[in-house]
Amino acid sequence: MNYDILVIGSGIGGMEAALKLGDMGYRVLLVEKEPSIGGKMILLSKVFPTLDCASCISTPKMAAAAHHPNVQVMVYTEVKEIKKNGSGTFQARLRKKPTFVDPALCTGCQQCETACTVAVPDQFNFGLVARRAAYIAFPQAVPKKAVIERAGTSPCSFACPAGIRAHGYVSLVRSGKYEEACRLILESAPFPGSLGRACYARCEQECTRAGLEGPVAIRQIKRFVADYYYGAHPEPEDAPPIAPSGKKVAVIGAGPAGLSAAFHLAKKGHAVEVFEAAPLPGGMLRYAIPAYRIPREVLDRDIKNVTTLGVKINQGKRVTDLAGLKDKGFDAVFIATGTPRGRKMKVEGEDLAGVVNALDFLRDVNAGRVSLQGKTVLVVGGGNVAIDAARTAMRLGAARVTVQYRRSRAQMPAHDWEIEAAGREGVVFEYLAAPVRFLGENGKLAEVESVQMELSEPAADGRRIPVSVVGTERKRPADLVVIAVGLEPETEYFGDQLAVNADKTIQVNPATLQTSIPFVFAGGDVVTGPSSIARAVGHGRRAAFFIDRYLRGEDLAGAEVEFDCRLPVVSKEEVLKRQESYRDLPPVSKKEILREKPGDFTEVELPLTEEEARSSAGRCLDCGVCAECRQCVATCPAGAINLAAKEAEKEVEVGSVIISTGLRLFPAGGKPQYGYGRFKNVLDAMQMDRLLAPTRPYNTVLRPSDGKIPNNIAYVLCTGSRDATVGNPLCSRVCCMYSLKQAQLLTGVLPLADVTVYYIDIRAFGKGYEEFYEQAKGMGVYFVKGRISWIEEKEDGNLLLTYEDIENGGKLSRAEHDLVVLSVGFLPAPEVRGLFSAEELAVDEFGYIREVEEDVNPGKTSIAGVFAAGSVSGARDIPDSILHAGAAAAQAAAYVERIRGKK
Amino acid sequence: MKKVSRDRREVIREEMLRREKILAALREGPRTVPEVAAALGFPAGEVMFWMMGMRKYGHLEETGEPTEEGYYRYQASVKGES
Ligand SMILES: Cc1cc2nc3c(=O)[nH]c(=O)nc-3n(C[C@H](O)[C@H](O)[C@H](O)COP(=O)(O)OP(=O)(O)OC[C@H]3O[C@@H](n4cnc5c(N)ncnc54)[C@H](O)[C@@H]3O)c2cc1C
Ligand code: SF4
Ligand code: SF4
Repeated sequence: MNYDILVIGSGIGGMEAALKLGDMGYRVLLVEKEPSIGGKMILLSKVFPTLDCASCISTPKMAAAAHHPNVQVMVYTEVKEIKKNGSGTFQARLRKKPTFVDPALCTGCQQCETACTVAVPDQFNFGLVARRAAYIAFPQAVPKKAVIERAGTSPCSFACPAGIRAHGYVSLVRSGKYEEACRLILESAPFPGSLGRACYARCEQECTRAGLEGPVAIRQIKRFVADYYYGAHPEPEDAPPIAPSGKKVAVIGAGPAGLSAAFHLAKKGHAVEVFEAAPLPGGMLRYAIPAYRIPREVLDRDIKNVTTLGVKINQGKRVTDLAGLKDKGFDAVFIATGTPRGRKMKVEGEDLAGVVNALDFLRDVNAGRVSLQGKTVLVVGGGNVAIDAARTAMRLGAARVTVQYRRSRAQMPAHDWEIEAAGREGVVFEYLAAPVRFLGENGKLAEVESVQMELSEPAADGRRIPVSVVGTERKRPADLVVIAVGLEPETEYFGDQLAVNADKTIQVNPATLQTSIPFVFAGGDVVTGPSSIARAVGHGRRAAFFIDRYLRGEDLAGAEVEFDCRLPVVSKEEVLKRQESYRDLPPVSKKEILREKPGDFTEVELPLTEEEARSSAGRCLDCGVCAECRQCVATCPAGAINLAAKEAEKEVEVGSVIISTGLRLFPAGGKPQYGYGRFKNVLDAMQMDRLLAPTRPYNTVLRPSDGKIPNNIAYVLCTGSRDATVGNPLCSRVCCMYSLKQAQLLTGVLPLADVTVYYIDIRAFGKGYEEFYEQAKGMGVYFVKGRISWIEEKEDGNLLLTYEDIENGGKLSRAEHDLVVLSVGFLPAPEVRGLFSAEELAVDEFGYIREVEEDVNPGKTSIAGVFAAGSVSGARDIPDSILHAGAAAAQAAAYVERIRGKK
Repeated sequence: MKKVSRDRREVIREEMLRREKILAALREGPRTVPEVAAALGFPAGEVMFWMMGMRKYGHLEETGEPTEEGYYRYQASVKGES
């Protein structure tokens, strides 16, 4: 047996039971689902009828529980399941939620809270004020340790193939922290400028806001921060020196995959040399993607992020011999040679001068070797490469540029916005058409013969194949044909020792990117086939991680969990359910300079202004709650924060179980006629207790609508109690007394304010309670016997209460107040019922845990060995809960002795 | 000006977006919540969430006695200015 007694829930009842049992010498495990022990009592202002300060009583108990040698406290932990063993003991399965803060290091200094960029409602102040995603529950929390609320990885960050924390930089931009935003991107990838322009933005496709008015403009926000940062830092910032590892890595290919791998490897201290066949680094970003999409100075600045780390780029060096690299002393090799070869159409005349593949065409243009003044150009293909080629030809002065695609527009793989932009620049599209022959004179292209296509009936797999329509052949003159029907890798020269697929891509272990030769890794398009910058960047990062492990002689298998720090992706439905309503906030419209026959390669997309970037970021819904912006990590002086922490399960055997999970407040919105949630100055009593507590959310008691000190406050008793219309006929026993307490406190805090209590009858049954009632009257609190029928809100935030004035013959009367407090009742907390897997824990007709021998054995439940303590079995105030917990503790102790005796 | 009140979570989320504007308004002198609301053009109930959030984390603080109408004035705290 690990513990004698498991106590679930650490409110006053649970703490009391745990302490009593600990004092008796029993080993107690006290489990709490919140980040601090203390339950509701620690959040109260004072207690009735003594008006002692609630935290002055609670805090020593909390400290005693936390430090008791026989009591072990586990916070932020949920009990998942309890099973009874044959011997009468219990087996409990616990889930310790990760707090992402190492409690051994955290000093409770609150710096993470101050740095955090995400604001959410503070549940410990019942929504009256904000807290941060990184937070300490409340000032007297025990343990006083920060936790970070993470609902999962946000969909945008989860989707990013490059592993960039999209939500993180969006959140930083919302806070005006633009440089920090760019630095966060630079932790994952060296290409913020290029990605901010040409990334296909999977993040936006997955953005939860896409389900409302449209996604957050995540990519354009990235461009904004890259431009901002590069403006401030034309050269990379100085970084602390990295200790050399003594290992050498060769990277073949200086595209995004190769350069990203080099970047991350250099950060690990490895000496990296990149070998690039072309005269300049950048891969497709330089030689394929046109400058009107990625200006070359932006690319150059991106690449500086890599070279500043000491990475050497050998330009104009084609590498074909892997063994040779090994001989030169390289300990590992990363192949990232992309897909440098255009696929052939296999059509007559393809070898004529004037018929070129798109990649060669774009390469020549980027090398400044092409003019098409007045020429007629035909581009064949339907992907983004075809569109880039066509729009490039337009910019080189071509008189007419036509894109021929053999299927229909709906099937065109190019992005819609690219097709549309090309159209606006004057590119003509011919769908369901394809060339069948190129005709030349003296080896030079003169005419193209094309044919109409039609789509076949859907085949078994649903695909419709384009087939040519006989008799529709047509010839037309052309000066240039650009073929953009696909790209493929060039891997033949690496020889037999490297396993290659039929489509010439390199075979790798998909997790580690290791090839059939252990010291050789490969990634990017040469592995995936034509893909995207982000995916290539992600491969570079992945390869660097596994190459580093390889170089350190560590196991590669099973290291995936260390590489991929994402939590499960948060559900969009759950995110959208967090709010009852959403204000319509349309996304910024795309701004491009699109004119017919553009004459140059000026960038077409306009940047977001600062205001646009910031308000766009302000549309983010904080799906994962924590944004992973890492400001807390950077700020925490103790280095306590670890966003990669994982949850843990634990199983314990215990002799007895005490359930002390308390009750829940009646949700005041359940009486819609009182306007709670709609009218800002209608509060529930728990909120008022917070406003009166020493750790209050405002500087004093103020109206939430405008911060005014209220001077005419109303209490509405029995809200949600003794009320069959809301399904709760029970008296909650506590609300009369806590209202009297608050009324008395208010007369002290706000001496000028009137307080009126609307009641049915005052139930002052306990010791000293009647006197407490009289004391309130003596202090000038008004009492009006009458049930409130409904409440209306006035323009100025004041409230009109309509009530049945019982003492005046039951006539309907009205009164105006500037703040209304609903004295909400209690409901049973439902979650404990399902805990027991084999036996049923009986509850009464209202859902409270049933005490089977209430009169003689208080706390005893339907399962032998399981006891209820405090208000989990019925509404109780603090003194009664303490008493009841004592009874439960004594019985649990007796049970433990009995089963011990049996053994 | 009576407006349909927005979801609390949505309002609270915008604190980071409004922080500098609020501090800029306070730099002209201590202001009540309705005065800041008028300067920014947002409902006072929304500004209340932002200002009380900022107060909690040390960006601003109350100063002096409340006005005759019963409003406290707030000023940027030294920390909030940094
Ligand atoms: C026209 C066009 C437009 C595109 N637009 C976009 C876009 O808007 N957004 C997007 O996300 N993706 C786009 N892509 C795809 C994207 O560019 C690629 O997915 C990405 O560049 C692949 O990166 P990589 O590093 O694997 O390969 P590459 O970028 O192709 O880089 C490979 C590098 O290796 C060099 N090399 C090859 N063989 C050798 C050798 N033997 N020795 C030394 N060096 C060698 C090459 O010269 C090249 O520099 C586009 C692609 C094209 C062709
Ligand atoms: S990573 Fe950012 S959003 Fe998450 S808790 Fe830390 S500071 Fe807050
Ligand atoms: S709403 Fe924000 S966190 Fe959610 S997916 Fe969109 S950008 Fe990411």
